[in-house]
Amino acid sequence: MSEAITTSILSELVSGAKRPASYKEIRSEAEGFLAESGIPSKKHEDWKYTNIKRLFDNGLNFTPANDITFNSVEGVEISWCTDVETQCIASQQIGTTVIHTKEAHAALNTSLFEKALVIRVKKGTQVTDDLVLNQTINLEDNNFSASRVLIVVEDNALLKCQHHYTGSPSSSSLLNNLTEVFVGQNARLELNYVQEIGEGNMMTTTQVECQRDSNFTTNCIQLGGSLLRNNVNISLKGENIETHLNGFYMLNGKELYDNHTLVDHLVPHCESNEIYRGILAGKSTGVFNGKVFVHRDAQKTNGYQSNNNILLSDDATMNSKPELEIYADDVKCSHGSTTGQLDEDAVFYLRARGLDEFGATALLLTAFASDVLNSITNEELREMLEEKIQAKLKEMRG
Amino acid sequence: MSLLAIKNLSARVEEKDILKNFNLTVNPGEVHAIMGPNGSGKSTLASVLAGNESYEVTGGEVDFDGKDLLDMAPEERAREGLFLAFQYPVEIPGVSNVNFMKAAVTEVRKHRGLEPLVAKDFLAYMKEKKELVELDGKLAGRSVNEGFSGGEKKRNEIFQMAMLDPKLGILDETDSGLDIDALRIVANGVNKLRSKDNAFVVITHYQRLLDYIIPDFVHVLYNGQIVRSGTKELALELEEKGYDWIKDELAEA
Repeated sequence: MSEAITTSILSELVSGAKRPASYKEIRSEAEGFLAESGIPSKKHEDWKYTNIKRLFDNGLNFTPANDITFNSVEGVEISWCTDVETQCIASQQIGTTVIHTKEAHAALNTSLFEKALVIRVKKGTQVTDDLVLNQTINLEDNNFSASRVLIVVEDNALLKCQHHYTGSPSSSSLLNNLTEVFVGQNARLELNYVQEIGEGNMMTTTQVECQRDSNFTTNCIQLGGSLLRNNVNISLKGENIETHLNGFYMLNGKELYDNHTLVDHLVPHCESNEIYRGILAGKSTGVFNGKVFVHRDAQKTNGYQSNNNILLSDDATMNSKPELEIYADDVKCSHGSTTGQLDEDAVFYLRARGLDEFGATALLLTAFASDVLNSITNEELREMLEEKIQAKLKEMRG
Repeated sequence: MSLLAIKNLSARVEEKDILKNFNLTVNPGEVHAIMGPNGSGKSTLASVLAGNESYEVTGGEVDFDGKDLLDMAPEERAREGLFLAFQYPVEIPGVSNVNFMKAAVTEVRKHRGLEPLVAKDFLAYMKEKKELVELDGKLAGRSVNEGFSGGEKKRNEIFQMAMLDPKLGILDETDSGLDIDALRIVANGVNKLRSKDNAFVVITHYQRLLDYIIPDFVHVLYNGQIVRSGTKELALELEEKGYDWIKDELAEA
């Protein structure tokens, strides 16, 4: 049954695509997986709270992805690639992470993307300015598009990158993005996402492979979208890696944001830190599902994970599921999850010092966000986000 | 004209009547001490005056410097010059003392028709007030009250009071649990802030604080009402005899 549905949806999508003949191998692998898995429905454990299938059931038409614009930054090689031959600028290949054989929306992306934005920082290059990617999504009714990014930060190199998703896509459209990331030995990458797409829907995967002694940080700030589904999977493949994955989300109305993360500790002596924080108002629904997987060989792992949520309305719902799966016997791991209301004592304390109710609330909620925002090193970006957070807060308080 | 005039104030919390026709008048330049056994309504009085919505005012009126205090939101009361030093100052993770005070001072100044202080002037102002309560410079950069010792929290309250320069300072058991050094520092801070234009209501369980902050009047609160008023000698008498003699007298009467 699922096969028929998927194949027909896929052929429908593909028929509209000017899909290049390139990447044959990975496309056929992806389609093979998709035929088996089907489009995820609420019957899948990973999609329990998030109904993406309804968008497919309404029928989606493939349309080319809007271009991602970017600034020119010294030390960064960046170009669009449409086939295996032209992607020579990267030392890694599109599809190397093989996530397209494990996860339905990565498979969908791999089957349908037309071209990939390939970013490379060569060995030892320390990039000082932020690379800023701007993706404006203006999908119309029932449109679907797939964007694809490959980021390769080679050994001893350093890069800070921002990826902004903006625009006002239709509430019946769907953007699918897959970003594959390779962080080389002793390399550092900070990857910041800002997702603010009005009523649009988006499903993205960030698939990261880190090599020994590297440092990878990602911060995902979600401020607007009917349905935002983010998967962040980090595979720690060498010793002495430090990784931080953080998220901050604000939901209002009937918005639904779903964050799934996986940190895969494969080898000893690595550290992972995860902080996801959210504020939910209206009738919104949040999902956090974070998994830290510590393999048997990954001794001396330090794994920390927390998810904290503040509900501003009685009708908002948060589904939080932090998970630790540990097969090594000498590790330090902890996780925690809290969901509650704003601390009324703190609001009163601030009001008793002259701040009005909104000012007090805003100060407390900005502080709540600060543990995530402070891990963004670009001050300008941080200030811009603080302003956006204030603006959305005003919206939430009606 | 009086600064604070409380007339027949009654208040309850969780269906329990606490203040019953409470009366008190405070003039500029005065320090009033309110003493009383646990559960007599001391902290309720402080909370009601500051505008804590967990307490329900069931009757009476409060005039603050010519305005109807009970009609104002907590922040308006603060901007009008009423300051409550909390019995249990709240910890606010992620908000630094500096940012907190900057926001508060800006609001209070705005209310008084003054421009916000520029960063340099604000820091100088803050430094001056910090010295008043011997507050460690490092505490200013830390999150409000987070990880502060009991004494540091209380000093931080007096520091905030100094920053906001209120007409009326209400100290809700600021002395409870303080060692003698912290008590001296807190009291010195208050004494330095005293002027002919402002007033203080010092709520306390112990007479000890009143050795350092000399009150003009001492009132005994019992069962939601002031049952006896006097001067600082009354506090000494209470310290010596405890509260039972007052309870006994009231029972006889």
